Amino acid sequence: MNVAEPWRFLARNRLLSFAVLLVLLQVLLALLAPVLGFQDPYHQVMVQRMKPPGELNLLGTDHLGRDVLSRIVYGYRSSLLTCSVAVLLALLTGGTLGLLAGFHRGWFDRIVMRIMDIFFAFPIMLLAIGVIAILGPGLWGAALAISIVYTPIFARLLRAPALIVCESDYVMSARAVGASDSRILFRHVLPNLMSLILVQTSLLLSAAVLVEASLSFLGLGAQPPVPSLGLALSEGRNFLMLSPWPAVFSGLAILFLSFGFNLLGDALRDTLDPRLRGHE
Amino acid sequence: MTGRQFASRLLELLVVLLGVSIIVFLMIRLIPGDAVAIMLGANAEITPERLLELRTRLGLDQPLPVQYLQWMGAALQGDFGTSIWTGRPITSEIAANIWPTLELSFLAILLGAGLSVPLGCFMASARGSVSELAVRMGAIAGLTIPSFWLGIVMIFLAASWFPGISTIGYVPFLEDPLGNLQRMALPVIALSLPMLANLSRLVRSAMLDALSQDYIRTARAKGVSPRGIVYHHALRNALIPFVTSVGVSAGYLLGGSIVIEQVFAIPGLGRLVLGAITERNYPLVQATILVMTFAFVIVNFIVDLLYLVIDPRVAHR
Amino acid sequence: MKKRAFPLVPALLLGAGSLFLSSAHAATLDIAIDSSPAGLDPHLITAFNSVVIVQSTVYEGLTRIDKDLSVVPGLATRWSVSEDGKRYEFKLPEGVTFHDGSALDAEDVAASIRRVQSEAIASPLASRVTPITSMDVLDATTIALNLDEPFAAILSSLSGIAIVPAELETDKQALQQTPVGTGPFQFDNWQPNSHISLTKFDGYREAGLPKIDEVKVHFVPESATRQVGIGSGEYDLLPAIDPATALQLQANPTVTLQTTRDVAYTLLGMNTSRPPLDQAPVRRAINHLLNRQDIINGALFGAGVPAGPLSPALATWALDTQEYECYQTDADKARALLEQAGIDTPIKLSLLVLPRQDARDIAQVIQQQLAAGGFEIELLNKEIGEFVQDWRNSDFDLFVSANGGSPDPDEYFYRTFRSGGSTNVFQYSDADIDTWLDEGRKRVEPAQRKAAYDKVQSKLACEGPVAHLAYSDMTTAVGSKVSGFEILSTGRLASLVRASVVD
Repeated sequence: MNVAEPWRFLARNRLLSFAVLLVLLQVLLALLAPVLGFQDPYHQVMVQRMKPPGELNLLGTDHLGRDVLSRIVYGYRSSLLTCSVAVLLALLTGGTLGLLAGFHRGWFDRIVMRIMDIFFAFPIMLLAIGVIAILGPGLWGAALAISIVYTPIFARLLRAPALIVCESDYVMSARAVGASDSRILFRHVLPNLMSLILVQTSLLLSAAVLVEASLSFLGLGAQPPVPSLGLALSEGRNFLMLSPWPAVFSGLAILFLSFGFNLLGDALRDTLDPRLRGHE
Repeated sequence: MTGRQFASRLLELLVVLLGVSIIVFLMIRLIPGDAVAIMLGANAEITPERLLELRTRLGLDQPLPVQYLQWMGAALQGDFGTSIWTGRPITSEIAANIWPTLELSFLAILLGAGLSVPLGCFMASARGSVSELAVRMGAIAGLTIPSFWLGIVMIFLAASWFPGISTIGYVPFLEDPLGNLQRMALPVIALSLPMLANLSRLVRSAMLDALSQDYIRTARAKGVSPRGIVYHHALRNALIPFVTSVGVSAGYLLGGSIVIEQVFAIPGLGRLVLGAITERNYPLVQATILVMTFAFVIVNFIVDLLYLVIDPRVAHR
Repeated sequence: MKKRAFPLVPALLLGAGSLFLSSAHAATLDIAIDSSPAGLDPHLITAFNSVVIVQSTVYEGLTRIDKDLSVVPGLATRWSVSEDGKRYEFKLPEGVTFHDGSALDAEDVAASIRRVQSEAIASPLASRVTPITSMDVLDATTIALNLDEPFAAILSSLSGIAIVPAELETDKQALQQTPVGTGPFQFDNWQPNSHISLTKFDGYREAGLPKIDEVKVHFVPESATRQVGIGSGEYDLLPAIDPATALQLQANPTVTLQTTRDVAYTLLGMNTSRPPLDQAPVRRAINHLLNRQDIINGALFGAGVPAGPLSPALATWALDTQEYECYQTDADKARALLEQAGIDTPIKLSLLVLPRQDARDIAQVIQQQLAAGGFEIELLNKEIGEFVQDWRNSDFDLFVSANGGSPDPDEYFYRTFRSGGSTNVFQYSDADIDTWLDEGRKRVEPAQRKAAYDKVQSKLACEGPVAHLAYSDMTTAVGSKVSGFEILSTGRLASLVRASVVD
């Protein structure tokens, strides 16, 4: 891959560019929401309750007369923030542990990886529920739960290649010329794992979006009045026959967000790492 | 598979189970504030006597290792104590709620895994840029569609298309087989869709992989029928990643069933644990998480063993 | 440490065995409510999902509250009151038995009342029977209750005191799981998380009743699921549904909606021990900022009326909310009141929210409405256990909640607003209110009581610790198979005894 020419690279990979576009669009919407002139997601207009999509409210209004479009855009914000924090935290702790385990081997490796195995043994929703039982409902509980479950995934992911890379000739030679451990890690090992990390991060973000939405849907994640996709869906389902729009659009928003990240991860895997390529 | 391999896998399993049980045990001790006071929360009156009584009942007045041994020792004999609110033995609450979840998961695996083979084969045979793209998008969409959303939409659609047909709730299979399957249909579909998407993609790529192998080409050149090729050689090759994936899916199913049971009013373990959380019924939360996680770990252990039996090469990894 | 051993394998077999349980296709009425009850002991439960299952079905009190909220005979066939209003004599019918086969006599009544009064049982209903100082069992079917002073509301209070077998007087556990009463239906089984089954009590004292063989109460958390379920005939009765569900069921030809004015109401509670809520003008300002009609439209889907301290269902007692000046939404006036009181804005307060959809919505609307007066409200969404704990410990600035009402003003007012009242979590204390409440309690003559309660309502409406928000319409959805069911404002299913189902 020629990183110096990202545009030509993307142009050659139409699926990847589509995925990047889809994710970028949603991320930018979330990031720039306050300056893009969306309505106040908290503002209620009681005479404008449960309106279908129209000129004033492109995606209609919810049962308290709030603009569904801006609730969704701000919902992206809270969902993306929660999920990125969770995945990044998992990447940092899990990744570091995995790399160190692969790098040092021996008892450190064995102990760390056994502990990772144990956390990996929990079904994600169950562990999340356990964490939330301790911390109480809220977005941060959800984020922590997601990151705990993902930590072993990153640890396992990075340990094996770290093992291989560490045995490779160029790391051996780097060691031979007296490079320090951290230098070897950062200069030689990590760059070689970048594509793997990118792919996995993207795929896990996709799954995290669904987990966060499920938890909020069950009342264990975001709490009112915070705009949240899962919460909006959970509120909207109570009056689906009166006005399906809030539930339908927040459901679609969750789908698009999760879909975007999954497609991105999938396309990245194909493009960046031919060894992992399927036959698509 | 040798006896030594089996022994080492078994040891790994025991370590994981021990770790899981310690984490679940520590859960209740990590709750900020006095867990006992929180648990008594919605009851009529909190008196020092009642706090003390509950604390003693939960064994919280003992040192931690003693508490763990007591709790785990009783749990291994199937005794998780009694539910704080209803006063019933927790084991019987779990027993009463386990069948719907097992049936739901079993049927979802059956549907997801069963359909994925023909679907994957079909997808492998239909190659071409447009259909490939459609297959890929469809599979990702299947993986990322929120199952609770799909569930609610399906309930309402079914209600308007087939009024008078019960699509929600639960009746035991032996009591009313038809009613049981009728009610299981929608939740099973909602639950199995991501699995189906995942597995069929896996079957497809395994098939394509296998079809490009030299021996298949040779077989083809020798005039073995295409159908024979596909089912005999390619499928067997696709079996290993398939079985693993089904095992991993068990964890997803247990998690997914929490939401699906809530949406479809199915009295299973998922609803039990969710209800227990809102009631702050910690012993029940602990017990349910422990049982479900153990089940998941053991399923994967069995899959792991199968794996060793199917493919002796793995033994040397 | 006492432990009940419950080996796993037999338990699983038990579970499997339940797969074989077959229900004969008798006349079964399927009810769906949102969650499983925490328990079924009639003297310990207050939550709707417990009360609706057992009160008036499994259990009966000496008296009963009728459709128009008047007191009519329940278990007691008749009663008399002494001249000074301090002694009530109740007559029980002959030959009544409990579901366990034992005969009902006056001793059971005395034991039941003692049970509610007992500190060991710690019944939340205790305040309803505190005026009873002693009881005389005159014969097997006659009992006299002696009060410390005249207490007009005792008859309506007694409707909520279930009569249970005397031998359970000190038992705290048994009734929670296995209720035993004298009502038309007896407890059969409880499948955790799934349903509770009540069956026809063959020994019911009225011959030919009940007409239904089995009542199954299903726990269905999703309102969408309940809604579809009653449309498809899966369920026959959805008691006290939320307004959104009611609106959506209106168009369904197979479902009949019965609506009445609820005695339960939603409220905004204020902690009068915390500044600036300790100042009456601030509480008045909050009332001026609220727009009750908007709350009703937004959170209750239009199904309700603005609430004063008493429900319009209590037609003889309640004042018209038009009479309350502070019910006019007027942000300028509110700000002026705050300024006069010398309160600096913004005023930062937290608002504890009952974990229920309507309360969550109300809280969000209130948050915006109070912002117009310079209040910065933070919403605290807690689980039910924590909510109740904070509420009981008066650990809140504001809270939004829902209360079940009572058919007599005393029952609600006295415990809630009297200094030191048992549910006066607001720490409210007002000498005038105390005087009037005592007066209303002691007088027996309705006109005198009314005069006292008029004054109480006027004062409480604007400056009390509770801003009463709305009395919702209570709607029960009835499927096409059911006939003879009649909704009651108390939410109880007493009319099931005469209802029938056809297939």
